[in-house]
Amino acid sequence: MRSLGATIARAAKRFMSSLPALFGVLVFTFLLMRVLPGDPAVFFASGPNAGKEEIEVIRRQMGLDKPVPEQLLLYLYDVGRGNLGKSLMTGQAVTTDLRERLPASLELTLTALLIALVSAIPLGVLAALKPGSLIDHGVRLFCALGVCVPTFVSGLLLIYVFYYLLGLAPDPTGRVDVFTSLPPARTGFLTIDFLLAGDFDGWWAAFRQLILPAMTMALFVIAPLARITRASMLVSLGSDFIRTARSVGLSWWRVVVTYALRNAILPVITIAGIVFSTMLGANVLVEKVYSWPGVASYALDALLSSDYAPVQGFVLLMASIFVVVNLLVDVLYGIADPRVSI
Amino acid sequence: MRVRYSGLTFGAVAAVALLLATQPVRAQSRAETLRYVTGASVNTLDPNVPGTTREAFAVSLSTYDRLVSFGRKQLNGKWVFDLDTITGELAESYDVSADGLKITFHLRKDARFQDGTPVTAEDVKWSLDRAVTAPVLGKAQLLTGSLTGADQFKVIDPSTFEVTLPKPDKLALPNLATVYPIIINSKVARANATADDPWAIAWLKEHTAGSGAYMIESFKPGEQVIMKRNEAWNRGTPDKSAFFKRVIVQTVPEPATRANLVERGDADITVDLQASDVQALENKGALKVISTPQYNSVTFISMNNTIPPFDNINVRRAIAYALPYDDMFKAALFARGTPLFGATWTDGKPTTSAFPFPQPIKLDLDKAREYLKAAGMPDGFSTTFSFNVGQASTAEPMAALVKESLGKIGIKVDIQKLPDAQMSTQINEKKLPFFTEGIVAWLPSTDYFYRNFYTGNQRWNYSSINNAELNALAQEARFEPDKAKYDEEGKKLNAIHVAEMPQIALWQPSQDAVMAASLDGYTYQFHRQVDYRDLRRK
Repeated sequence: MRSLGATIARAAKRFMSSLPALFGVLVFTFLLMRVLPGDPAVFFASGPNAGKEEIEVIRRQMGLDKPVPEQLLLYLYDVGRGNLGKSLMTGQAVTTDLRERLPASLELTLTALLIALVSAIPLGVLAALKPGSLIDHGVRLFCALGVCVPTFVSGLLLIYVFYYLLGLAPDPTGRVDVFTSLPPARTGFLTIDFLLAGDFDGWWAAFRQLILPAMTMALFVIAPLARITRASMLVSLGSDFIRTARSVGLSWWRVVVTYALRNAILPVITIAGIVFSTMLGANVLVEKVYSWPGVASYALDALLSSDYAPVQGFVLLMASIFVVVNLLVDVLYGIADPRVSI
Repeated sequence: MRVRYSGLTFGAVAAVALLLATQPVRAQSRAETLRYVTGASVNTLDPNVPGTTREAFAVSLSTYDRLVSFGRKQLNGKWVFDLDTITGELAESYDVSADGLKITFHLRKDARFQDGTPVTAEDVKWSLDRAVTAPVLGKAQLLTGSLTGADQFKVIDPSTFEVTLPKPDKLALPNLATVYPIIINSKVARANATADDPWAIAWLKEHTAGSGAYMIESFKPGEQVIMKRNEAWNRGTPDKSAFFKRVIVQTVPEPATRANLVERGDADITVDLQASDVQALENKGALKVISTPQYNSVTFISMNNTIPPFDNINVRRAIAYALPYDDMFKAALFARGTPLFGATWTDGKPTTSAFPFPQPIKLDLDKAREYLKAAGMPDGFSTTFSFNVGQASTAEPMAALVKESLGKIGIKVDIQKLPDAQMSTQINEKKLPFFTEGIVAWLPSTDYFYRNFYTGNQRWNYSSINNAELNALAQEARFEPDKAKYDEEGKKLNAIHVAEMPQIALWQPSQDAVMAASLDGYTYQFHRQVDYRDLRRK
């Protein structure tokens, strides 16, 4: 119990120490957006008759008529009060947009990561148990295919096969069929909200929508996870304590899972943490292909139209998530290997 | 602040969710629902907000009524909007005085807003005052119809409304049928106005207070809008009957997915597919594909007439004769559109007073070389050719062909692909020498095109041309009541265009509406979106 308390205290300290980095990200993104040679006011004033006057109105609305240092101070003041500004693109507050879209992205990414881990670890273990065998080569081929096919290609392919040809999957438009009524938003994760509301038809509808995009993302990240599992399992299986365990006649399960895998899992956790953070930000193609209302496609649209506030908000959010995920990975490390302390 | 904010949002979300949960939407038959998919998104419910997307325009046409609306006509067998037929919407009828200075609207006495209160001339006045005085998009549009101040609008009695014009203006009435001059329930809007925002711009962005054919059921910016029919709406005509009980406007960013959805019958209609997909779907023949040349729009290759070497008229002519028009048309558009090149002017005079018009130019490299020599640059020069990312699917193949062809006469072209916001910024600042862009005019009359796209130091004058004769003619034509004289002026303007060659009109791309075979009534509209009220299911 005491060690748990100590872990929490240390985790909190580490979190505090990452605050300056977050602040740096905030200021840097702010300046970067202003250096980029696109003027959001001109872009958004593109009605068929919008002239100088409309551009000025938008500039005033966005506060761009003030000098940059003053804009920065105002922005920091707003962020301090939890206000990330307004998006011109959706016409809503950025916090509202992110709050609605982050659960969508998280639900998709977590599901994809789960699918990836559940398939990558056994694949990696199998490959490591029989290196050079047909299974090993099969896993290698599968991983290579998964990595070298870009997600939008595999996404479109899955849609073509499962939706267009076979008609098994629902239409790939968003998180739930347009004709289904939504459950009360509690967590923002539709699959959980439907369960909480006791609406199993709804849950099934949301789950069916989720499965194809999650598979698409998982395909792409199975490779690094399976390869890392294989490599570190090989090391682990070749070590002395496994030889000892085998020689004393422990069961196969105990040898492979309890001793070898537990020791081999550390690098997998690290990679999983990195993969998760990357997936969350880089799944923009999957979100686009499946019309998934997530944060990444939101940020890309904002970037193309130089909509400052959403891009800044998105980067800040991603930086914070990165910090939290890293922290979590470190804590998991400690659980997997008691010798490690953060 | 943060707590209050999240509390509010959560409350709103929970309320909507509760509403949906406790009052399950009656299982309406799929046949009575129209599902429209698009790559763009709806970002506001009030089309007047700066930054409004075109999809938001389309939604506002269904949620709000205007005083008048456009009729429709057939153009080469396809229905398109008709600028010359103005029918009543909230106005039952209108009279134009003999001198053309007064337009009197007689409002429908039975017209009601969606909350059940009657529509009065007071509401019309408040709404039009808002359109010309508030910082909204309507201001610049209505200006083109000589509607500039609140003193031009007068309430005669609760159902009669009068507009006074400083000069007889052909575009005054059509302007009132465009997207912006929506008629708002002024009582509701005023109740939600604040001291900083007397025109309730912020509130109307997220709420509607209109009398239109459809009511907003749910609005998720950037995702979808669901509307249900306003059963009390009686402004319909046989052409515009608001057949569907429910309309779903959904954002689906990936064009291939949109094509799949329509082909599988899960979506009913879409207008923004890639040309190659349209071609394939048309060949399969299961869906209805209606391709209408966007006759109020033009795609240009523009040259900035103030930046050397494009300030030299012979350089511009050389470029005009060195472009591989046919190849570009096929590569970029799969020849889906109306070409604006390769015309023949027998006696060297324009054959039409209309704009856009087919220009008497074609690919002729020898002629291009001669012009380059005349410009004093027989060995050519280097320049950049820019286009924006949003148009990459058509502009990219086009740019490659431009580069190749100009290379043959010694002009070295670097292709520059710019993010949309960056491109519009640079065009606005007049920094791009050579680029491709498109224009669209809601009210496509010749003088309107020339005034907005060929005069003044403003963004839409892509070529930055400043020709005294053209400026004077365009202004004169605006108020020219005599049809014959107007045609004469139109021809003169077109002649100047070809002589000066400020920019090169390429084509009018087609609007490809791909829809379920059961849909009927699709009409190409001035705003280049679907007017949901036009559609019916057979």
